[in-house]
Amino acid sequence: MSVFGRFFGPSPAYSDILFWSLDLETGGLATQRDPILAVGMVPIREGTIRLSETYSSFVRPSTAHVSDSRALQAHNLIPADLHDAPSLHDVLGEVDVRLREGVLLVHFAAVDVAFLKAAYTIAGRPWPAPRVVDTARLLERLADVERLASKVREPSFNLAAARRDLGLPEYPSHDALTDAVATAELFLLLVTKLGARTLRTLL
Amino acid sequence: MASASVPGTPPLDPRGFLRSVPPFDSLDVDSFEMAARSLDVGYFPSGTRVLSQLGRPSVHLWLIRKGTVRLEKGGTVADHLEEGDLFGFASLLTGSVAFDVVVADDLLAYRIPEKVFRSLLSEPGFARFFTEGLATRLRTATAFPGDATFSLDVYATVGSLVRRPLVTVPVTATAGDAARAMEASRVSSVLVASDPPGIVTDRDLRNRVLAKGLGPDTPVASIATFHLTTVPSDTPIYGAWHAMVGAGIHHLPVTKDGRVMGIITGTDLLKEQTFGPLQLLKRVESIRDRDGLPGYGADLARMVAGLSAGGLPPTQIARLVSYLNDALVKRLLAFAEADLGPAPASWAWIVFGSEGRFEQALLTDQDNALIWADGADESAGAWFAKFAASVVSDLVASGFPPCAGGYMATVWRGPLADWVSRFRSWLEVPEAEAILKAAIFFDFRRAGGSLDLSPISRLITQASSNAPFLSRMAGAALRFRPQLGPFRTLRDEAGRLDLKKSGIAPIVGLARVYGLDAGATATNTLERLAAAAETGLLPQEAAATLSQAFPFLLGLRLREQLRAVASGGTPLNSIALDSLSAVERRHLKEVFLAIRDAQQDAGQRYHVSFA
Repeated sequence: MSVFGRFFGPSPAYSDILFWSLDLETGGLATQRDPILAVGMVPIREGTIRLSETYSSFVRPSTAHVSDSRALQAHNLIPADLHDAPSLHDVLGEVDVRLREGVLLVHFAAVDVAFLKAAYTIAGRPWPAPRVVDTARLLERLADVERLASKVREPSFNLAAARRDLGLPEYPSHDALTDAVATAELFLLLVTKLGARTLRTLL
Repeated sequence: MASASVPGTPPLDPRGFLRSVPPFDSLDVDSFEMAARSLDVGYFPSGTRVLSQLGRPSVHLWLIRKGTVRLEKGGTVADHLEEGDLFGFASLLTGSVAFDVVVADDLLAYRIPEKVFRSLLSEPGFARFFTEGLATRLRTATAFPGDATFSLDVYATVGSLVRRPLVTVPVTATAGDAARAMEASRVSSVLVASDPPGIVTDRDLRNRVLAKGLGPDTPVASIATFHLTTVPSDTPIYGAWHAMVGAGIHHLPVTKDGRVMGIITGTDLLKEQTFGPLQLLKRVESIRDRDGLPGYGADLARMVAGLSAGGLPPTQIARLVSYLNDALVKRLLAFAEADLGPAPASWAWIVFGSEGRFEQALLTDQDNALIWADGADESAGAWFAKFAASVVSDLVASGFPPCAGGYMATVWRGPLADWVSRFRSWLEVPEAEAILKAAIFFDFRRAGGSLDLSPISRLITQASSNAPFLSRMAGAALRFRPQLGPFRTLRDEAGRLDLKKSGIAPIVGLARVYGLDAGATATNTLERLAAAAETGLLPQEAAATLSQAFPFLLGLRLREQLRAVASGGTPLNSIALDSLSAVERRHLKEVFLAIRDAQQDAGQRYHVSFA
């Protein structure tokens, strides 16, 4: 773990690093207003995705406000699912342990990281400021590489579409854990395609 | 509102995919959970050597999710594995690596750790999968759960099953309101009127209200499912089965012009039993005159579709079809006798080809012939000519197209002595044309009449001691080869595989040679294989493998043909590769490989040069 605390010296090999792939299902796109409904996390250790160590949970809405039923439908949730779920504070406790352990891996990191930061503020927790790798940015990078190699391809940045373009299997969508696994697989593929060897090349 | 995509492969996450692959499909819930929770996922670009003969034994059971690998030994490719294939188990079981495993196309692999694999081996079914041969695996793969005691009219659409008015509650209703509405209309679900609409079922009232300690005042909005799986009303009934089984639901909203028009249940589907074999038999038996003939073929196709949807093995479906066709032929023979007066001699109406082997499911060309007793006077020929013409034209009216090759009683008829000398000449001078005829007429059986045919049967049993004849017959059987490409891959033509030429005809041909060699008079492919195995001509394992492969191929073809007929098309012998699941593709490849091996063995045994 010490390699992450160090800001100087050589960048660690990517296969030595623990990544936590994360996906959030949220009640909307307004980071300050809409709630986090569900969290899914899966680790990549030594370049392998470990389904035996996944973490996923629904989040009980923090206020008495009834969730927008439209948002729930989009995520295939029913209000009763959230009713019995742990509180945001408890879920963030679980998330926090993992974020302090490794590099955070997210597809379109800006959105999910903003949601997480807002949630940390609400819960009164200090943001652990993990290093973040964004698979959407890696996709951009791959598109640049391919453009240089004059392979003309209109890149898709949507997770499902990008996976399809790159020959990964179709997974059901709108489940936080499945999306986290889908992101982790996309990451392994992108690391290979980009020939990335160290963490620095991925940030 | 999402409509179910019917048919097609649904998106499967790692857990779902694992569940779809044998032997994981038959694990009990706890063992499957252990396996699913232990998975890890790795990505390996092409060229990666994931297992090496020089390296350490595998510490995982590997399952290919996407991509392909080559098994190599000393630089030669021994096999190609693809989506749904497992590897690494031999290494786990023996502790050594027999092949290099090299990624051919970028590989996404799910892996089960050694420890979990070993504890799963304590399940007999799981262990057997890795220790037993293809025959057993195919049996498992093509077995359907439950009894095939119902049949369905798959040509009808789901719209025709909606017989109750739609019961709706407002989105502001309570669970109590929903329960009262269900009780009043005697239904097990209600639609929640909102945009998009939702559904509340009796199960929801139990699981999401009562079991949670909630009361009748619980708002329906909090217990309803709003993400509905629906089907349009013109969906065929098998499509409704797909949608319900696929989504794991018991209530299926049916839409018309985008709006829910009603909800059907699994029970509604089960009630569609109007085209069972018994009903059809009754229909045939009640045919009084020729006006009752048209429509028989269509009714038979409906029955076949229903039995197939109900999971009856295709070989058994074909047998039922033969019985029904025989019942019909007996009516037609009786009609002709009634018109023409008593026959001048005793006779036999014979059928051959797939009908002669009890292997015809959907109606194809009629293949029949007429044999009468020797010694009848000159006028007998004219009577039998009229007799044959009458029955053949009634068969056409019933839905059996005439045989394009002219193998019908209108052409092929004569006294027994003529037939005996024909069979004898085919056996004694096995020229190409004779072998062609023998392959057709040796698969015969009586469908009507009482003439004793034992002189012909005796000739057929003599084939077993006729080496040149058997060798020529074997040569004919080896003419059709499985569509396999280099490195043991499936070789498609424009995305399609010809199941008849590639698999069904080769097995029928092999069974014919071995069956005749064994002196068997049975014409049925499975019976011939059994006879060959009994006399030791064919090793038990090979006979078992071909006997399992045959219904598998017939089943795939029948499924495609029913799909074609249901959508107004022509039933074909070929199948689109992308309509097969990963597991089916893998089984098909194994079947083709097994056929090729069997053909090679037959080539050696019967001295056929096998290019």
